[in-house]
Amino acid sequence: MDPDVIPLYKGVNECKIGTGGTQDDTKTLIMDGTDDTYVDQNDFGSNFIRMRLTDGVRELQTVIRDKSTPRNDFIFYADRLIRLVVEEGLNKLPYRKCDVVTPTGQVYEGLRYEKGNCGVSIVRSGEAMEQGLRDCCRSIRIGKILIQSDDDTHDARVVYANLPKDINQRKVLLMYPIMCTGNTVAKALEILQMNNVKEENIILLNLFCTPQSANQLVTKFPGMTILTTEVHPVAPGHFGQKYFGTD
Amino acid sequence: MMMSDDDDDDDDDDDDDGGGGGGGIDLTKSRMLTFSKTYKSSRFMEATTMTDNVFDFKSQPRASSASDSGGSEDGNEGDTDQLTPLTICTDLPNNMSPNPPRTPKSPKIGSSLKKRHRAPGSHKPEGTRVLHTHGRRTLYTAGRPPWYNKEGQLKNAFVIGLCGGSASGKTTVARKIIEYLDVPWVSLLSMDSFYKVLNEEQHKRAEANEYDFDHPDAFDFDLVISTLKRLKEGKSVNVPIYNFATHSREKQMKTIYGANVVIFEGIMAFANPELLKVMDMKVFVDTDSDICLARRLRRDIAERGRDPQGVLKQYMKFVKPSFEHYIEPYMQSADIIVPKGGENDVAINLIVLHVHNQLQARGFKLRNKQAQASHNGQPMPDTLHILEKTPQINGIHSFIRDKNTSRDEFIFYSKRLMRLLFENALSMLPFKDTVVETPQGIFYDGRKTSVKRIVGVSILRAGETMEQALCEVCKDVSVGKILIQTNMDTGEPELHYIRLPKDIKDQYIFLLDATVATGAAAMMAIRVLLDHDVPEEKIFLCSLLMAESGVQTVAYAFPKVKIVTTAVDKEVNDKFHILPGIGNFGDRYFGTDFAE
Repeated sequence: MDPDVIPLYKGVNECKIGTGGTQDDTKTLIMDGTDDTYVDQNDFGSNFIRMRLTDGVRELQTVIRDKSTPRNDFIFYADRLIRLVVEEGLNKLPYRKCDVVTPTGQVYEGLRYEKGNCGVSIVRSGEAMEQGLRDCCRSIRIGKILIQSDDDTHDARVVYANLPKDINQRKVLLMYPIMCTGNTVAKALEILQMNNVKEENIILLNLFCTPQSANQLVTKFPGMTILTTEVHPVAPGHFGQKYFGTD
Repeated sequence: MMMSDDDDDDDDDDDDDGGGGGGGIDLTKSRMLTFSKTYKSSRFMEATTMTDNVFDFKSQPRASSASDSGGSEDGNEGDTDQLTPLTICTDLPNNMSPNPPRTPKSPKIGSSLKKRHRAPGSHKPEGTRVLHTHGRRTLYTAGRPPWYNKEGQLKNAFVIGLCGGSASGKTTVARKIIEYLDVPWVSLLSMDSFYKVLNEEQHKRAEANEYDFDHPDAFDFDLVISTLKRLKEGKSVNVPIYNFATHSREKQMKTIYGANVVIFEGIMAFANPELLKVMDMKVFVDTDSDICLARRLRRDIAERGRDPQGVLKQYMKFVKPSFEHYIEPYMQSADIIVPKGGENDVAINLIVLHVHNQLQARGFKLRNKQAQASHNGQPMPDTLHILEKTPQINGIHSFIRDKNTSRDEFIFYSKRLMRLLFENALSMLPFKDTVVETPQGIFYDGRKTSVKRIVGVSILRAGETMEQALCEVCKDVSVGKILIQTNMDTGEPELHYIRLPKDIKDQYIFLLDATVATGAAAMMAIRVLLDHDVPEEKIFLCSLLMAESGVQTVAYAFPKVKIVTTAVDKEVNDKFHILPGIGNFGDRYFGTDFAE
């Protein structure tokens, strides 16, 4: 079964049932399913970062959402978007100034990133982002957390977690591509906090999230940095299944 | 392994076509020859630029052939006449002898193909030829120096028109001019390529020797004029390949591109006033008709087993009247009349001298001008897009600029940077709104690019390093290549090799070069693309690092070309290195830097 907590949405309305359902912003969505021009005007505070929305990023989002996209294209475009999110997320890691000497003998004012980072992916869809991280940071340590929802109660439950021992000393890049309710990530945050990771040291890399999930997370974990490409009431919940081919 | 059949044409030179066969000199067909040690620096480089198709031709059976005299002769493989730009290099000590030993022509392509029945008149030496220039002068490279000024504007090629009767020695004169000129990038265009396509009835008449190929109406002058005009402007042209068996044009065309000097030869070369206007110099080869006839007799009888009666009859019926009506009267249009044809070294030397002077007057020395061109204080152009300098970008630059970075890391980090560069460049393509249906049952307003295909064109060698990153973000991208090298003696960039996808003019082009210092190579590459009819606004120059002067130079010359890069440095030093720069990107990437 799909380990993602988020149930597959048939319609839009289910999404509103989430914890953020009372927010005004969801009202801006027109629900008739035909003309849903949704303008994301939410303000989730300074730790909630939207990636700059270039036409290229819009295209990647469009292809991922398009149900007629063949699977190989889907993976290709998803990987591209993941890579962009990862590259953007790495900007949030600490660095120090460091001048280097170029082959021409001149000085270039550069910088060096500090050591002591790690990635944590939330199984299963978060694992889709591991390669993107690995492509940028070849030897980074990556922990995993598996969270499943109870069939009856829909409560998120931690099944498995394996994290670097010294994770509390590290900056953590938490990877989870699609957030609808935010429950899964909230649960993962609990695990990390149990391991003494500070909120401030966590950077969530996300592709698509809903306003309610964003709201839940910024409310519960104000110190965490969240990076996403899009806030939209309807999350592409098919992501994990299509990426891994289990649909 | 010096050419075998390459030389074979020589004794045919004197004949030449009244439009005949496919011959033409094919100077180009370049082949890489391995020379023995004595020929030290000579090399015959592949200068045929061209799009892919060029190379297919060799394998094609020659259709043409023959020519005159009933088409005997040759069949040697198929090449086509015209020429592609050629690069000659010299220094060949000998080997210049006008009549190198003739190698037997290969009989392989049989007579079935050759027949072209028409009046005697021409026959064209076929086969590939290799021309060598006199040894005393040394030509250091085979590349093509800039053919445009520092504003990127074209200078016209120098067009020499060569007219004369059949078997008057036009081909020999052309060959000698090319040899003596000693200029790389000479194109020879033969009128034979421009015979009109015959309809069925005409075709039958041709079969029966009744069709007059020695009449101006037999040529497609409109096409000749437009082709020659484009060549003169330095644009790439597609020259038809005429099949003398079917009297139609082959599907493929031969692409000729890039000539500083164009020699256009044909019996009717002066027959059209508009055509005359295109020529910068008009040369009439005037050989005594008795000599022409004698050559023809000797050749046809000795080499083709024809009987004297037939040869004479053909001559009297077609060739001679044609000469009197359509060729000789145009002698007055000529600037220079060369008696005795190809043996007239004095006349040929004079022609060459004149052309040299002309070329010198058109010469370009760009690089220093470009480097020094002061664009100081000018705002950066609107077409420049630099990646936002995030800590990551800065951090990656720190790695690849550091002279102590290992190659492994250098490659790794430069690839990361390239990927970001291309993602950025892709965002600059035209996009349009689109609505897609999602599995969640809603419609989603998205954006999609309207560009179907992108062609990457890399400037060797450093540009090639970027191909993989482009392929990683861009499905089904096709990749062309351009080799531009700096001539160490002159400091000028030279074009050595180019291979582009055929339909390039309809595509968006990502021009790849890792670093752009003065912009000289980038400018040359852009000029090449423009010459292939790529609209300027469809060209994206993508590089990792540029110098300000390079940005300004490119943007000034080509204001519509989009420039995408990850960083722009201030200076270029006197060795044309960017400061603080990154060093020699290609050397560091490929590990060919042994300096330290």
